[in-house]
Amino acid sequence: MIGCISGGRIYDPVHGKSGVVSDVFVEDGRIAAPRDGGRVDIRCDASGLVVMAGALDIHSHIAGGKVNLARLLMTEDHRIEMRSHSAIARSGSGYVSPSTFATGYRYAAMGYTAAFEPAMVPSNARAAHLEMADVPIADKGAYVMLGNEELLLQMLAEGAEQEEINDYVAWMMHATAALGVKTVNPGGISAFKFNGRGLEIEQAGPHYGVAPRRLIQALARAVREIGVHHPLHVHCNNLGVPGNIDTTLATIAAAEGFPIHLTHAQFHSYGTEGDRHFSSAAARLAEAVNRNPNVTIDVGQIMFGQTVTASGDTMAQYRNHRLASPDKWIVMDIECDGGCGLVPFRYRDNNFVNALQWAIGLELFLLIEDPWQVFLTTDHPNGAPFTSYPRLIRLLMDRGFRNDCLAQIHPAARAATVLGTIDREYTLDEIAIMTRAGPARILGLADRGHLGVGAAADIAIYAEDQNRERMFEAPRHVFKDGVEVARRGELLAAPASATHIVKPDFDAAIERRIKSFFDDHMTVSFDHFRISEAELADGGVRVIEHACRPRTRS
Amino acid sequence: MSLGDVSTITCPFCGLACDDLPRSPAGVESRGCAKASQGFARGLTAVDHRVRGIESQLEAAAAAAASILRKARLPLITGLGADLAGIRALIALAEKAGAAIDRWQSSAQQANLEVIRDSGAFLGTFSEIANRAEAILLVGRAPGEAYPRLGERLFRNRAPLYRTNPPWVTFLGPDAGAFADLSLAEHLACQSGGFVEALGALSGLLLGRKLNAKHAAGIPIEALAALSNRLKAAHHSAILWDAAHFPAAEREIAVRILLHILRTLNRTTRSVGLPLGGSDNALGVSQALLWQTGWPSRICFSRGVPEHDPWLYDAERLVGDGEADALVWTAVISPAPPPATSLPTIAIVAADTAIGGTPDVVIRAGVPALDHGGAIVRADNVVALPISATRSSELPTVAEAVREILTRLGEDAP
Repeated sequence: MIGCISGGRIYDPVHGKSGVVSDVFVEDGRIAAPRDGGRVDIRCDASGLVVMAGALDIHSHIAGGKVNLARLLMTEDHRIEMRSHSAIARSGSGYVSPSTFATGYRYAAMGYTAAFEPAMVPSNARAAHLEMADVPIADKGAYVMLGNEELLLQMLAEGAEQEEINDYVAWMMHATAALGVKTVNPGGISAFKFNGRGLEIEQAGPHYGVAPRRLIQALARAVREIGVHHPLHVHCNNLGVPGNIDTTLATIAAAEGFPIHLTHAQFHSYGTEGDRHFSSAAARLAEAVNRNPNVTIDVGQIMFGQTVTASGDTMAQYRNHRLASPDKWIVMDIECDGGCGLVPFRYRDNNFVNALQWAIGLELFLLIEDPWQVFLTTDHPNGAPFTSYPRLIRLLMDRGFRNDCLAQIHPAARAATVLGTIDREYTLDEIAIMTRAGPARILGLADRGHLGVGAAADIAIYAEDQNRERMFEAPRHVFKDGVEVARRGELLAAPASATHIVKPDFDAAIERRIKSFFDDHMTVSFDHFRISEAELADGGVRVIEHACRPRTRS
Repeated sequence: MSLGDVSTITCPFCGLACDDLPRSPAGVESRGCAKASQGFARGLTAVDHRVRGIESQLEAAAAAAASILRKARLPLITGLGADLAGIRALIALAEKAGAAIDRWQSSAQQANLEVIRDSGAFLGTFSEIANRAEAILLVGRAPGEAYPRLGERLFRNRAPLYRTNPPWVTFLGPDAGAFADLSLAEHLACQSGGFVEALGALSGLLLGRKLNAKHAAGIPIEALAALSNRLKAAHHSAILWDAAHFPAAEREIAVRILLHILRTLNRTTRSVGLPLGGSDNALGVSQALLWQTGWPSRICFSRGVPEHDPWLYDAERLVGDGEADALVWTAVISPAPPPATSLPTIAIVAADTAIGGTPDVVIRAGVPALDHGGAIVRADNVVALPISATRSSELPTVAEAVREILTRLGEDAP
């Protein structure tokens, strides 16, 4: 079957196309070579419309034990928002912590064709994959959370060679079927289990004496040397703490030039200036990003309203539990390899701190010069649910709208931000980079995020509208693997989606070390900790393995 | 590289889901566990599907089931004792049939869910407790029979990473039943129905309150004060309870106080809670329901959307009050027969389930870990474990059987 999307204005930064009018051919779920004349089975008239690759969300908490705990806590959210089943769709509920089917449908209706779960606790990996199997349409993948496992801390404390760390990380990625590696408050989740209530980047952690800096250095290097495309995905120490910009900049230094991705950077760009000892340090982080091409960030923008924060960072979540709204929260220590914390949150524009957080996120977007280095996220659901992306895009593309919103926030926060002095407006090219080409490139998904021949036919088509929120919230057409799945926000089809993984090489000798740790200490056997390929594909899940770069020796 | 073969088996027959049972040509070694030993010895006594007592093919049984579901105004899908694939299929069936769905006898789990979602929680998993807890408070009745290897796996594990001595285990509850395995250091015997009083006193003591009473639920206050000091002094402690062991009238309040105690302790030291339970993959049910529908239990699809009401859609109430008009009973992890009712009944049960009466449809399905593999969720609500077949049989899995019904239900749908 050959399809043709004809006459649209193509925004495909990978191929230098910026609004050029051209046809896009689709065959067997892939972008096909242009053909003059010849057979076309289905034509989609895109005259006057904007055509982009499907969007990818690089950081969105869509599945896993902590998301289920968030659903459990957010009773009202699920009562308010319920959707019925239909001939093509399953039912569901929830707005800030939607059920899995609803998650897939909403992403697709918004032109997103992939979303990546960033905090898969190793011991929860099997459950997370089973859950992700029920996210339809939008492809998935997960970053395994490392940097707080007692085994890794033990290895570092004993002075393990980098090669051994590399084998360990590669093995963990295999065992948990991961696409990337994330570290969350490196060392801090473990420290919290020893009753540590804070951990500075240079501070020796309890019991093992390993400082976060060492963990960041070892993991960033490991990820690079085992050939995984996505750089170490870092949730820095000291999330949410005024003055944490120093920690964030020290984290960049700790990577020692290896590629590093700082996630939800808004929550890590705080100074201590002003009467309230809370200020924006976005300019300092932006400057560091502008200067260090090895660094990428996603913003973790907050938007005003009710949400729930779901994080692996038990230390930070416990610290923030007094801010819970409604006043209930869950903290969980997990299997000597991680943790999770859930704190419902209502961001208010008339609250100084919340209002400044909002401005800090936007400052980051607008002060970082290269859109290839910054990605659009709200750290769903921590800053806001992913459904607020269209409004966020409008804030970036429309200075007038932005300034109108700025006028409504807490006056002291307005006075403390440079946002009003920034004229920059994102272009459609830049939006296409930061929501498509950029995330696909940084994840190593060579056939996503662009419209070149051979790419997956994941395509979103928008009607031009000066109101960019309206434009981006309900694309005219959305195609997933060549199938039209949504039109003007309405679901047309709900095909199963794929799970993206990598399998970096490792030396099998590492298994002896890991197995002996499991045999001695864990309540799950080494054999069952690992997810087998058959399990992963069980129930018809399509697994897409991406090649790694050749392994390099340290 | 290697990612070698699996040499041990996961046991699905209680919430501990021990996954260290050696497998040999002779069978599965139960490591001294009566539940595992019974579970892996279960027989294949009846393998025929039946429609109104008459032996039938699966397709015919599924068609008869679909016909019952089409006629019903409020079918109830309950039991739910299956692996995750089976549960996911049963949720799809509930949605399509406009049915209510809930586990059977789910009040204990419901109490934990209600209190946790209303007030939050401080929780921990098996390996956390096994490696860190210096003091353990166990509340309820003796768990020996329900969780035969609890002491071995969580209290007396071989080489804990951090605690240097065996944990000080306090049992607070009325009876002194099967404790052999638990290495109890002390037993604070409270009167039956005295959990709220005893835990309330402990909670007050932890907050530094002076109590004038000399006893709480029959326990000397000095003993509770000593426990309070022990928990506060421990670097790490754990509190384990089985809400099914609390009398219904005090269940929610007892759980609420336990979670409050955990919050108090964590102001100055570390302590985690572990609600026990999880037999018949109960946590797999709440997990799959949460991710697929947004609700953990007691859901009804009669209006197309997943509506949750902890009272209205309680399975036992729906049957007891005569509101459900058809029953889909699924239980294969345990050989539990459907409850005795006059409702049109579709029973998806194991080959060794003894059924009284003649349900309209009986589908004999495989038992996870005997007839087929899959996955279940352990009682700590975090770890899903793989299970594998240990015998060969022709029985369909619950998921396969339910998909057959779903297909038939779709065929004649308007």
